[in-house]
Amino acid sequence: MLEKAQIGSIQLLFLFLILEGATSFLYAPSPTVRIAGRDSWLAISLMPSVYAMLVVWVGIALARRFPFQVLTEYLPEVAGKIPGKLLATGYTCYFIMLTSAILSQSSSFVQIAILRQTPPLVLNLILSGVAACGAYLGIEVIARQNELVWPLWAFSIVFLAILALKDINCENFLPFLENGVMPVVKGGTASFVYRGEAFLVLMLYPYLKQKNEAAKAAGLYLIITTLFNALAISVTLGVFGDPVTSHMLFPYYELARYISIARFFERFQSLIVVIWIAGTIVKLAGFYHTCSIAAATTLGSSNQRLFLLPITVITLLGSSLLYDNFLKLVNFLFKVLPYNAVAFQLLIPSLILLVSAVRNKGGKQLGNKRT
Amino acid sequence: MFQWFSRLFNLIKKRHKKSYPELLPGKENRVLSSSLEKNKKVIKGIFNRCDDLVIREFMIGRKKQVRAMAVFFEPLVNPDLLHHILLHPLMSVEQIPLPEITVKWLEENIIPNGKIIEKSRWAEVTYHITTGLLGLFVEGQPSALLISALEKNSRQIDQPTAETVIRGPADAFNEDLRKNIALLRKRLHTSRLAVEDLEVGEVTKTAVKLVYLKGYVMEGLAEEIKKRVRRIKVDSILGSGQIEEYIQDSPYSPFNHLDITERPDKLTAALLEGRAALIIDNTPFCLIIPTTLTSQFQSPEDYYNRYWFASFIRLVRWLAALASLFLPSLYIAIITFHQELLPTPLLMSILVSREGIPFPALVEALIMDVIFEVLHEAGVRLPRAFGQAVSIVGAIVLGQAAVSAGLASAPMVIIISITAIASFTIPSIPLANTVRILRFPFMFAASSFGLLGVMALLLLLTFHLCSLRSFGVPYLSPLAPLSFSDLKDALVRAPAWMMLLRPQQTGYAEPKRQAAGLKPHPPLTREKVVNRGRRNG
Repeated sequence: MLEKAQIGSIQLLFLFLILEGATSFLYAPSPTVRIAGRDSWLAISLMPSVYAMLVVWVGIALARRFPFQVLTEYLPEVAGKIPGKLLATGYTCYFIMLTSAILSQSSSFVQIAILRQTPPLVLNLILSGVAACGAYLGIEVIARQNELVWPLWAFSIVFLAILALKDINCENFLPFLENGVMPVVKGGTASFVYRGEAFLVLMLYPYLKQKNEAAKAAGLYLIITTLFNALAISVTLGVFGDPVTSHMLFPYYELARYISIARFFERFQSLIVVIWIAGTIVKLAGFYHTCSIAAATTLGSSNQRLFLLPITVITLLGSSLLYDNFLKLVNFLFKVLPYNAVAFQLLIPSLILLVSAVRNKGGKQLGNKRT
Repeated sequence: MFQWFSRLFNLIKKRHKKSYPELLPGKENRVLSSSLEKNKKVIKGIFNRCDDLVIREFMIGRKKQVRAMAVFFEPLVNPDLLHHILLHPLMSVEQIPLPEITVKWLEENIIPNGKIIEKSRWAEVTYHITTGLLGLFVEGQPSALLISALEKNSRQIDQPTAETVIRGPADAFNEDLRKNIALLRKRLHTSRLAVEDLEVGEVTKTAVKLVYLKGYVMEGLAEEIKKRVRRIKVDSILGSGQIEEYIQDSPYSPFNHLDITERPDKLTAALLEGRAALIIDNTPFCLIIPTTLTSQFQSPEDYYNRYWFASFIRLVRWLAALASLFLPSLYIAIITFHQELLPTPLLMSILVSREGIPFPALVEALIMDVIFEVLHEAGVRLPRAFGQAVSIVGAIVLGQAAVSAGLASAPMVIIISITAIASFTIPSIPLANTVRILRFPFMFAASSFGLLGVMALLLLLTFHLCSLRSFGVPYLSPLAPLSFSDLKDALVRAPAWMMLLRPQQTGYAEPKRQAAGLKPHPPLTREKVVNRGRRNG
């Protein structure tokens, strides 16, 4: 653990929620609907929840064994020096790759939604600059910032849903399970990568003030995020129907554009978009912080802030070289990233958990510290 | 080799000593002499060219006379007191009973008021004379007796000028430190009120009092403040703002870390919440330590008005603060980038009035806002008599004429006027000033990147605010980190009987503010009393 920061359990919950929600609300619905059709509300709440439950369970079980270290710090201890360092390097690279994907997602959204003629590099610069500043100030500041941003963000989601209620056509949900269960299961995979973002508990656990409340926060996270996702996708489906929704890039954003109350209260999507951008910036800040911590612990440095600038530059390059157009980005997000995610979020941590249990590493500090 | 080094070291040390301003030239560190003539000479040397210094020589006693002299600064000493308390009794006493005049004898027999101290080093004696004490030198005694005969020439307790309220006490602090402490003691009749002496300024030797409530104050706060204030080594402290800059947590922040107030009731409330304050001589503004963003939106009047209205007005205040920060930038962003946000008729009318304006929205806003800032500054600096002229010029010439000449559009004038008025609703003056400055970067961000720019800058700002601490207390404290019980007094003001606890961050030393169950209810009717009696048994 490099910083001497502390976050509370509510802050951790909010961090989980924004780390998942900020981009999943924009990108996950469309591919889900493409596969699962009118049953997507079930698809997005069923399999991803099971998956996320596993991820969170493994993550907390592993983090509990090493309550005062982040993942990349104890990997060499568990897996042996060289394989451990390799794994830690792998995780650092994964974090950096994920961060550049998130950066790309955010800037693509901003460009498509409000600033069409601005070059993506400029948007990337703004977003990553602000996020890196947040990461520079530390996890405590990001968590506090998120306490201001998340409620606003959640309000915008619920507010939109309420305004759209009057346009919902219940027939859009029928017939139920027309093509069997398989599309529902398959459709859920699209949001694995987002829902499993809670595996960052491996990197956040050492900062938690009350360690035993991590499980509670994670449980609440699972419930709230499932509800939110199901709400968003079912409102979108109810209003537009599944054939239209599957062709939209950002269905929930389209919903914001669509709403019109009394021909006066309408076209406020830019304001909503601004709130969502705030969410993505906080998410980015969290990821930049994670990247820098991972890099610093892997390389054995004691100052993670030194790594922020190179990481920012790498993510900028990555996001403009790897995903230079929207199609590439979406392809990457839903054809490549899910496999990566399952490996890095679930499989490797459970393997490490197994190894550490067999080799009897860690696990004693917490008991001593609590007294 | 070693010797050479030590010599070099000594040289550096001497240099250092020399470069330090010599505030006490030559004689002042010496001890007084027992000869009156010699002392007189030294005084004349020390207070060379101080023509307001009076050296009054006289004889003590009628029978066995002893030569003595009183040394004082004429403007600082009350002549009546001097005559009645000192000169007359001393001159009319029969003879001195003891071989020399002691403090005890003077206090018990001659001088009926104040404290008397005896000093024998010139540095101390001269210091006390400059603070307004009268120095009594007696032949044959190598010490001076310092007697208080202060002229009370401070102004009367007056109404607050910067923080006005309608319903609430109308007394304010002024430049007199003693009166300020008195105003505080008048409100807090408790031995818990601690008043600790500090002194800042090598030349001015300004008295600074640290006040707090023992047992209520945040843990370690008083010690931390004393540590930071004692660190200050400057020649002068003339106002509270100078101290603030030396003791704030993050020196480059645009936000104020300490709140200022001239209202004793506000200060009392702050002390009761576990905060501490610095009261500084010669300035009516006290420093409240620590402060948070939400506490700067609390006006004393919120607690005197009914809570519905107080909550409403506090929300209005927040809204106005946000408007004063964002309105011009939002207008610029919408007009430049996001025209679709406006309903079509409104957009049309704005476009029509902007037709023929030669500047982009940013330049227009900058012109109008800078003009407003100039007017504001002129309004503060100008002598009272010119006020009307400036307001006429400001209102008619600049507002009306700029629109009709086509230099600025009418919507922009409206936006800037709302911004200007809104900025005056923030109760804390330093915070209002910060908002005034921050408006400009937001305008630039809006004109370059639209709402994204505004949001990005806002996030940067809130990241900064989240990282700020004022003496260990997070600046956004009831909001982030979130504390539910303190939200009762943050954006709204809950009824008085609901606020059971002091603010968590500052008041946890003694968390309970009032007894539970103070919610009033109508008197019980006879039936209810009977029923209640039955129910209870």
